Amino acid sequence: MPINSDIQAVDDIFQEGKVVDGFVIGKEVHRGGMASLFSATKEGVDVPILLKIPRVGRDQPVESLIGFETELTILRALKSHYVPKFLGAGNMATRPYIAMERVEGRPLEDLIKEGKVFTIDEVVRIGADLAQAVQSLHAQDAIHLDIKPENILIDEKGKLTLIDFGLSHHARYPDLLAEEMRKGVGSAPYISPEQVAGIRSDSRSDIYSIGVIMYELLTGELPFGNPQTMTGLRRRMWAEPFPPRAIRREIPRWLQEVVLRCLEPRAADRYQSATRLRQVLRDPEGVTLTERADRIEPPSFWENLKGLFKAVGYEPSPSPRPSMGNYDAPLMIAAIDTRQSDEDLRERMQRTAKNLLQAYPESRLVCISTIASTPTYEGKHESETASGIVRGHLVQLMEWAKPLKLPPERISYHVLEAMDPATRIVEFAKDNDASLILIGASHKLPNKVTPWRTSMTKIVEEAPCSVHIVRT
Amino acid sequence: MSERIGLFADLHSNLEAFEACISRAEELGVTRMVFLGDLVGYNADPAALIERIADLVHSKKAIAILGNHDEAVFKDCRNQMNASANTAIEWTKTQLSDSHVQFLKNLPLIVQEENICFVHASAHNPSDWNYVTDSMSAWRCAQHSGKSYTFVGHAHEQALFYQSAVGKLIRFAPHPGDEIPVLPHRQWVGVVGSLGQPRDGNPEACFAVFEPAAEALTFHRAPYDHFAAADKVRRAGLPEDLANRLITGK
Repeated sequence: MPINSDIQAVDDIFQEGKVVDGFVIGKEVHRGGMASLFSATKEGVDVPILLKIPRVGRDQPVESLIGFETELTILRALKSHYVPKFLGAGNMATRPYIAMERVEGRPLEDLIKEGKVFTIDEVVRIGADLAQAVQSLHAQDAIHLDIKPENILIDEKGKLTLIDFGLSHHARYPDLLAEEMRKGVGSAPYISPEQVAGIRSDSRSDIYSIGVIMYELLTGELPFGNPQTMTGLRRRMWAEPFPPRAIRREIPRWLQEVVLRCLEPRAADRYQSATRLRQVLRDPEGVTLTERADRIEPPSFWENLKGLFKAVGYEPSPSPRPSMGNYDAPLMIAAIDTRQSDEDLRERMQRTAKNLLQAYPESRLVCISTIASTPTYEGKHESETASGIVRGHLVQLMEWAKPLKLPPERISYHVLEAMDPATRIVEFAKDNDASLILIGASHKLPNKVTPWRTSMTKIVEEAPCSVHIVRT
Repeated sequence: MSERIGLFADLHSNLEAFEACISRAEELGVTRMVFLGDLVGYNADPAALIERIADLVHSKKAIAILGNHDEAVFKDCRNQMNASANTAIEWTKTQLSDSHVQFLKNLPLIVQEENICFVHASAHNPSDWNYVTDSMSAWRCAQHSGKSYTFVGHAHEQALFYQSAVGKLIRFAPHPGDEIPVLPHRQWVGVVGSLGQPRDGNPEACFAVFEPAAEALTFHRAPYDHFAAADKVRRAGLPEDLANRLITGK
């Protein structure tokens, strides 16, 4: 990739006392491997300002530039109480900088280095606050992917701020680090097994990192050390960490359960959302204890060997979209019989759907109808082909939903092919984790379509969720 | 004021969608428009659409590029298109005057500017109408354009291909309304999506806005009266399926 040579002049631009885009540059407050930080002021901005300038030049790794580009993209998009406010940025080719709020507080790393001993309560609070901060990112479809004590600022009141988004992933922006040749980018002690495998789209990776941090604060040790080789990094894919209670006996069993669950090699075995992790840390009564809570012996040679065999076939679990970790977005299904033409029922169903959707602002509606089967041959006219028939039904569903005036992200349409509609509808509800099936029952139903009525009994009996029957 | 380019592709004679997108683009402060081909085909208003675009082109507010459906109006391309598309082209021919056809004939296949390339299908052999749908086709397109930014249509679904750290082009599905930083040290291929016949299941019309100075690209979806546009298709006697496509967006 060609990188503009103008960039060499960056050091001349960013000097104390100079003005860049209205930012008056103050003292250099930090010089790291990837970037320099300057304090700054600007007329009209009443918060302290920090300018982050990437270290660029011939001898700098290209990652520092990609990291800068990534942070610029993601920080600009985030709105969170736990992230510094984005205040502006300069042209990357000529005067690259990111201006952000200069947040009070010291890195958690400093406290650890000073040898501070954290009480159980302090660790629980930091864990819960971290989970909340991370949840605010996940809710916006962003994943931090570099949660470590260096990147967590804590102010005097104990408020946390997450910094450094140079390795982060945001589902709404191109991932510039995707398919990077080097796997396992990030800080060795804290990255999840799936990150070691090169996956950058699993929000549960952040939950793993929180687990590592809680482990470290509780025991003063890292669960898998600070490996410098790929083999060392891969150990977390199979090995069980030394139980925290074996190191510090006062750790309650429930807390060991929580920490070890965060450190599960398979993301699907951890807490599935940061919200859930925060809940269990705030309400230990709700923690289900398993054998994890009881471990006090270091894992035996044989157990580790079993784990190693499992890890040979280590397959990361599929990553859900970060914001899907939320449980407060119910999915409702409206089963619409496209054959019936009862106007009263139609209107009543539409009204019911509308009310339900208003009651749950995060909810989504899926309109479905079923057809017996589609011809396998390609008909002469579009309307006789499989895609033509399905499309015809889709049109009817869309006409049905038109008065609801829902934005496209809240509604979708499916025509299900099924000999037995009830079974298919129940199956669809299961597969999609639906919260409610809405279905209409007309008394004006002509006799020849009674199968739909028997279907209804079956749906009511077998549905995995509530069923709302609309009557005329 | 710095330049803001409105990008519109695969308009396909859909006047309702066109008007909705143009007015939305004007609200967004677009200073110049680029029509990335396939002005006609499929839907019911070819003459009106050509006239609007010709006016914009003559007053130097826009440039327009040739698409395969536009070419089919003056060249026999029947064996390259499906039945509904061919029916619509035959009907379109009956709706156009000589001057309309002449306007289409004069459209360029590709336009190269300092740092941007505009083409209907792909910068790789533009007249072969290659689709940019995956990493490989995007890479070929970027190689032949040689520019930081290449904007295309033809494939009806919005996508942004970006050059990764290893040089490969990676497909990204943009989220409408999000401003994506597109820095010029990488190569980008933007597929702006179809204005006149969206096919991703969302009936809203696609377009995009590129701001060269801000190095930012935003994909948009504009709702419009697609039921009215579908009605016109039916009343024109065009295949029912084409009307249904507008309603379902599929």
